[in-house]
Amino acid sequence: MSENWLTGPVLEQLNSGVLVVDEQFQLVYLNSFLQRHSSVQLSEVKGKSLFKVFADVPEIWLRRKFASVLELQSPSFSSWEQRQYVIKLPHLRPATSSSQFMAQNCTMLPLSDPAGRRYVCMLIEDATDAFVYQQHLQTTLQKLEQSNRIDGLTQALNRRYWEEQLKLEVQRAQRYQQPLSLLLFDLDKFKQLNDQYGHLGGDSVLIEVTVRIRALLRDTDWFGRYGGEEFGIVLTNTALAGAVEVAERICLAVSATAVTFHEHSIQSSISVGVAQLDATGERAHELLIGHADVALYNAKRYGRNRVVAYNAGETEFLLKANS
Amino acid sequence: MSTIFSEEQRDCLQELINVAMGLASDKLARFLNTFVHLQVPAIELVNSAQIPAQFDAQYNSIEAALVSQGFLGSDGLRGEAIVLYQLDNAHRIAALLGYETDSASELEMLTDISSILTTTFLNGLAGQIDNQLSYSAPRVLSSRQNNVTAALIETACHWEMALKVDISYQLIDHSFNCDMLLLIPGEAVLNIQQILDRIVEEF
Repeated sequence: MSENWLTGPVLEQLNSGVLVVDEQFQLVYLNSFLQRHSSVQLSEVKGKSLFKVFADVPEIWLRRKFASVLELQSPSFSSWEQRQYVIKLPHLRPATSSSQFMAQNCTMLPLSDPAGRRYVCMLIEDATDAFVYQQHLQTTLQKLEQSNRIDGLTQALNRRYWEEQLKLEVQRAQRYQQPLSLLLFDLDKFKQLNDQYGHLGGDSVLIEVTVRIRALLRDTDWFGRYGGEEFGIVLTNTALAGAVEVAERICLAVSATAVTFHEHSIQSSISVGVAQLDATGERAHELLIGHADVALYNAKRYGRNRVVAYNAGETEFLLKANS
Repeated sequence: MSTIFSEEQRDCLQELINVAMGLASDKLARFLNTFVHLQVPAIELVNSAQIPAQFDAQYNSIEAALVSQGFLGSDGLRGEAIVLYQLDNAHRIAALLGYETDSASELEMLTDISSILTTTFLNGLAGQIDNQLSYSAPRVLSSRQNNVTAALIETACHWEMALKVDISYQLIDHSFNCDMLLLIPGEAVLNIQQILDRIVEEF
């Protein structure tokens, strides 16, 4: 070929890997890029099986790929998005990438020499940059999704997300005919507490109370901040009696120990309303919130720092009292 | 849109495609070690703006995937090949090819199958007109998370014309259906017409 003076040096200086194997998958050629990255000398590995020289390549998979290239005489591809690398090679950005291996886009091409012998040529492109950007993007999206769900102050779920979960859990409970209960609670005399210790003092109570309560819940419960000092907990697969027990424990955990804020010891308590899902239909979750709210209202009325379960008869009473 | 091809050109194209399909079927059978029967593909020239609507009914209600691969040859032959599958279909081929069933392998398998289908078929087509094609890496445009129609709308609007090739692959014990779309830009259509005219004259 008249361009031999050109192709040789270009192949050697190419910033991509070039590897050629024969039909028995024995190495015929490796360019400098690959030799340098893998610390292998072509003269030492020529004629040896690819799978012996690069012992950690996915052999079964790669054999199948090469077989398709040879049999179909058409190219085959591998993308870092599905398989991060084919040959484990170090990359040149160890500081900025969380992976120590070069992400690779590979193209496998059919080749024939003038005598008609068949080969597979594998081109290996370094895709580490794309890989790194993709990872940054994913972590950022995850953080964004997280901050979209979380109340910044207390780290409980925010109201919007919590209500979405409540809706889903209500649907699930109806579908599988499992019990579901809801706790709504409110910090007692929180306004006074804010007036006495300042808003930072109030905030520290909210934060501390949230931590204590979360420790008492299961992974499957949904704990959200409903309003200023009002919170909700969705207890999955829990009937009223069980929910009341949980509520008693939470109530005690808050009142038993004062919250320390600077030199102050702040005594606080909560009132809890408990209700079990009994309605059906699309507005069932709203009714459930309404029932828990009635119970919470009663807990306040009966003297605070206590748990009250919703009792169907009380709705009318409340409605009358309001009107 | 189909009026831009004369009847002679259409017949010629259909014949080329039939032969290409036969070649692809033979190669696939040898590669997969199983009998492969490819039906005579129905071809249709469609305005690319109509494509999303055409596939909406067929693919939107089920789990489907869409894989794209660009091709480029001499004489201005170029375009983008799109393969659409129903995913439950693809699993049968995956088993035949010996893939794992986790989701990373699923995408890898889809791109592999698409690449094999597209390149064997298009190589067969190019070979008959003394052309040679190179291919870009296959890319999954949409899978179970994404909407197929939305992906098609995004892709199809870049191209003036599309050649719709309905391919039905029948493997022994495994029926496997997919659609292949060849999206071709306007100037490449003219080039293809010239190529077809040349073949018709020679014949």
